[in-house]
Amino acid sequence: MKPLAHVVFALLLAALQAALLRWLGGGAFSVALLAICVVWAGLHGGNVDGSLAAFGVGYVMDLMAGTPKGLLTFLAVGLFLAVRAVSVAVDLKGRAALALLSGLGALFLSVGALLLLRNTVEAEGAPGGELAGRMIVEALLTAAAAPMVALGLRRLDARFHREESGLLG
Amino acid sequence: MVALLKRYRELLLVAVLLLAPLGVFFSHAKKDAERNRVDRAVVWVATPIERAVGWTATKVLGGWYGYVALRGSHARAQELTIRVEQLELERQQLAETKAEAERLRKLLAFSELSGERRFVGARVIGIRLGAVGRQVLTLDRGADAGLAPLMPVMVADGVVGRVHSVAAGTADVLVVTDLNSSIAVRVERTRARANVRGTGNPDLCRLDYALRAEDIIEGDPLVTSGTDGIFPRGLVVGKVTKLDRKQHGLFQEAKVVPAVDVTRVEEVLVLTSSERAAEIQPAAYAPAKP
Repeated sequence: MKPLAHVVFALLLAALQAALLRWLGGGAFSVALLAICVVWAGLHGGNVDGSLAAFGVGYVMDLMAGTPKGLLTFLAVGLFLAVRAVSVAVDLKGRAALALLSGLGALFLSVGALLLLRNTVEAEGAPGGELAGRMIVEALLTAAAAPMVALGLRRLDARFHREESGLLG
Repeated sequence: MVALLKRYRELLLVAVLLLAPLGVFFSHAKKDAERNRVDRAVVWVATPIERAVGWTATKVLGGWYGYVALRGSHARAQELTIRVEQLELERQQLAETKAEAERLRKLLAFSELSGERRFVGARVIGIRLGAVGRQVLTLDRGADAGLAPLMPVMVADGVVGRVHSVAAGTADVLVVTDLNSSIAVRVERTRARANVRGTGNPDLCRLDYALRAEDIIEGDPLVTSGTDGIFPRGLVVGKVTKLDRKQHGLFQEAKVVPAVDVTRVEEVLVLTSSERAAEIQPAAYAPAKP
């Protein structure tokens, strides 16, 4: 259930993101709020729950962004694995770590999508290096928004948190 | 085999979740894939959510921009109101200047059309059009500018009156509507002679000495005849109205609407080169001989 809840939350977030970007800048810049969900799953989810959540969130990203099927789903699962690897190697806790990883995650998704598309679709249809500045701004904004999204994710996880039954349970 | 699968099931699941989309991507990357049923179902479910969230976010942000962000707008509105009032004042002044320029342009065009005649332009600085006493306009030019009594005063629309008295820097003009004003005129259409005399009413004169036999009709324009030795020929004086031709008597009676509304005159031209005016110019105001 938890991965499904994450996917529904990702859907809500995608809608919120679209509405916010309409008002704030009118598309002059972008933000990848769903990358935060994937990073959160990597930091706080289990292998199965987390990877399923990442897969689902990636699927939503693909659906909402209109990218070729599987592209962002693959990258989201890849990001999940990367975050798991980093969190195993380094003790990452707190909002700053989440913000840092979210920013890097957004960059990972953007750069990954760019590289994959450049190697698969025709040159004129693929994004170019001129989007680098926009990607960096997106990463920074995503990092800035991470603590706020984390509040929602924390509440969501709390609903699925089960107390271990004790002696009296 | 089953044990192996059980042992590495998490790893296998993650690998499938990772590689399956990659395969889908490579197989669909070069062609625009249609949304399948699952995609459409998710979008169908997501649309109301997206719409609701978008509506809420829009309302919240709209409320922010419409109320909270308007803090300080009252002071700004006051500033702008003051600015609008200042601009309105400036606009009115500019409109006034424009109207004045228009009047002066007409006067200039009139004086240029009048050939050899020499004019002095003057501004009306005082008006006395009371029922009692003379009806005069005071000009800001006087003897110093070459003005002398009996000089004709006019605007582009027609005759205003004649100079009645002068001081060094001002002059009084007896307007056509004064009871003491009488101007020799002709009916422009038939060349019939008559006199236009003031009635003391600023918007009405009367026609004197128009022979009953003369062909005059209401609406006939009247121009100066030049026979009074003051006004040159051909200046518009007014228009005949309320004609009354009786069965007996020597003259017919009529009212005349002056061509110039003396209550609205602001700038005038004084004809200073009239032969008659030069003749009657008092010695004190005559130009000094070298």
